[in-house]
Amino acid sequence: MRARGRGSPARAALVASLTLLALAIALTLTRSPVSVAGTSVPRGVSEEPIASTQTGASYCQPGERLPRAVSAIRVWLAAVTGPRVSLAVRSDGRRLTGGRSSAGWSGGSVTVPVGALAHAVSDVTLCVSFQLRDETVYVQGSGASAADGLRAGARELPARMWVEYLRPSSSSWVSLIPSILRHMGFGHAAPGPWSAFAALALLAAAAALASRAAFKELR
Amino acid sequence: MSAALARIPRMALTCAAIACLNAISWSLVTPPFEVPDEPDHFAYVKQLAETGRPPSSSSEDLSKEESAALYALDSERLRLRPQIHAIQTQGEQEALERALASDAHETGSPAAGVATSQPPLYYALEAIPYSLASGASVLDRVALMRLFSALLAGFTALFAYLFVREALPAAPWAWSVGGLSIALAPLLAFMSGAVNPDALLFAVSAALFYCLARAFRRGLGTRDAIAIGAVTAIGFMSKLNFIGLAPGVLLGLVVLTVRQARAIGHSAWRRLALAGGLALSPIVLYALVNALSDHPVLGLVSQASPGGSLLAELNYVWQLYLPALPGAVSDFPGLFTAREIWFHQYVGLYGWLDTPLPGWVDNLALVPATLIAALCLRSLYRGRAALRSRALELATYAIMAFGLMALIGLASYQHFPATDAEFGQVRYLLPLLAPLGAALALAARGAGRRWGPAVGAAIVVLFIAHDIFSQLQVIARYYG
Repeated sequence: MRARGRGSPARAALVASLTLLALAIALTLTRSPVSVAGTSVPRGVSEEPIASTQTGASYCQPGERLPRAVSAIRVWLAAVTGPRVSLAVRSDGRRLTGGRSSAGWSGGSVTVPVGALAHAVSDVTLCVSFQLRDETVYVQGSGASAADGLRAGARELPARMWVEYLRPSSSSWVSLIPSILRHMGFGHAAPGPWSAFAALALLAAAAALASRAAFKELR
Repeated sequence: MSAALARIPRMALTCAAIACLNAISWSLVTPPFEVPDEPDHFAYVKQLAETGRPPSSSSEDLSKEESAALYALDSERLRLRPQIHAIQTQGEQEALERALASDAHETGSPAAGVATSQPPLYYALEAIPYSLASGASVLDRVALMRLFSALLAGFTALFAYLFVREALPAAPWAWSVGGLSIALAPLLAFMSGAVNPDALLFAVSAALFYCLARAFRRGLGTRDAIAIGAVTAIGFMSKLNFIGLAPGVLLGLVVLTVRQARAIGHSAWRRLALAGGLALSPIVLYALVNALSDHPVLGLVSQASPGGSLLAELNYVWQLYLPALPGAVSDFPGLFTAREIWFHQYVGLYGWLDTPLPGWVDNLALVPATLIAALCLRSLYRGRAALRSRALELATYAIMAFGLMALIGLASYQHFPATDAEFGQVRYLLPLLAPLGAALALAARGAGRRWGPAVGAAIVVLFIAHDIFSQLQVIARYYG
């Protein structure tokens, strides 16, 4: 019985799946986290609602700079159940790049994946638009002169929406492990990197126990 | 005690151990107070442990020592801003330690925010670890309380496995698929690795499903009636959301009693009375205390009022889960709620619902989810003859699920249209983890006896992967 089980499709599937998982983890760790390549977020200032809508709107912000290789743009829109957001970056009326978020996001910002450009472009206009019926969406940012401000249709607001341009950083997750371990040692009950190692050991133990149990039970 | 422990199947204990380890791991990875409403739940425990009385105010004016810790942890800025990391420097750590060591201690916390309206059982249990660490810092107390919650994750997985075992007796090899997958579910570990009464609610709900399945399979004995009644009573004392499961439990008890009455006559009704009396005892006691102290008899529930017409409410609840029916006004224009709220959140949304997995993962996850659903349906179709004979049992579970979903929908409707789906959070559906375990076991069975175990193994590894990548995402968000 035991010998027959050892070569069963279930055990082969388990070994193959675990191998695939190990490869996926290794691949993920060699990838780069996103970093902020450019931002309109001023330092030391708290965001505040600068506009809101319950019916959907289109907001455009001139005078932005699109860095090269940006793969996503984070815009400061706040909602409980956010709508699908369309984003476009234009220059001289021409659409340079853009994208759409899925609906259902929540919180104080939404990140929209966009197609990356090989070079930076200055003085672009960033537009976001979405449809709503009841939910309130707030545009968040901080004060600015109306001439430089956000446009809500034909209206010029004396404030700018906060925007961050994201692209993969030059370092991989693997290279960041030491600093992540150090950061995990702060802000917990007993400071120090022990909590990171303990969490890792517990997770590995849970995964190993589950794999062993599946190996024994499924044949 | 040891004899009772020895009767528990080894695999059930393995599932419990895995769920505990996993939840403890999550409790270490998630920064303190970065789980929905954890500051409020901590405040409730503090008030109960230090004064013996529940909190009296739902304001967010928490105690000085908790507020100082929250301030030093930068919690307010972290919340809903996924671009901001947890504290990362030695200077911030030293400021935190100074805040924790300050003598800003005051007895109790009369205000406990949204936790104030909840029943006291979970908080009373958490008062034990809280008191054990009473001389230690706020963060030490949170850590110990989180460990207690993690133990409850073990009970959830244990009862989920036992439910699968009772519900699908013909496929012993598939039980482990359901039990192990639930033990590894990242959302269970995330919520149970925190100070939150959801941890107890999940465990009690899984136990209730198990007790009902056992009674449906073996008949409603006196012990079963006592167990169902007692577990239901514990559920009522755990979290208000448990009320959603009650109509299904009532149906189940009536069906079981009618069946039992055919075999043993009228004494079966005494068992129903026993179960019902036990189950309702906390509500009766609660109403009595309120009536004597001039408060609304059913507390918060008495104050709930519909926000519109019944039809509008039903329409809203339907659309919170499913696409609008033809001709109905759409309450969620442009939003496919099943996918963009429930599935998206199940795939991964941690922290204060501000830490998602990348959007492409949602699309990728649709592939295994669709395959699992298809295999589950195939299994149900192949077992349709058995399903017919167990229609009332299935109706019981279905009414429990619908009751919970309706409760979430009706609670959300109170806030509509200011917010579309105030309580559209998938954690509120986790009391249904036990049936999810059965669905996963059915999916493995749907692949047939030859390939079923292989599919089962793949499902278990899928859950391991989901758990690992979810933790990595949380680590990247807070510590990256």
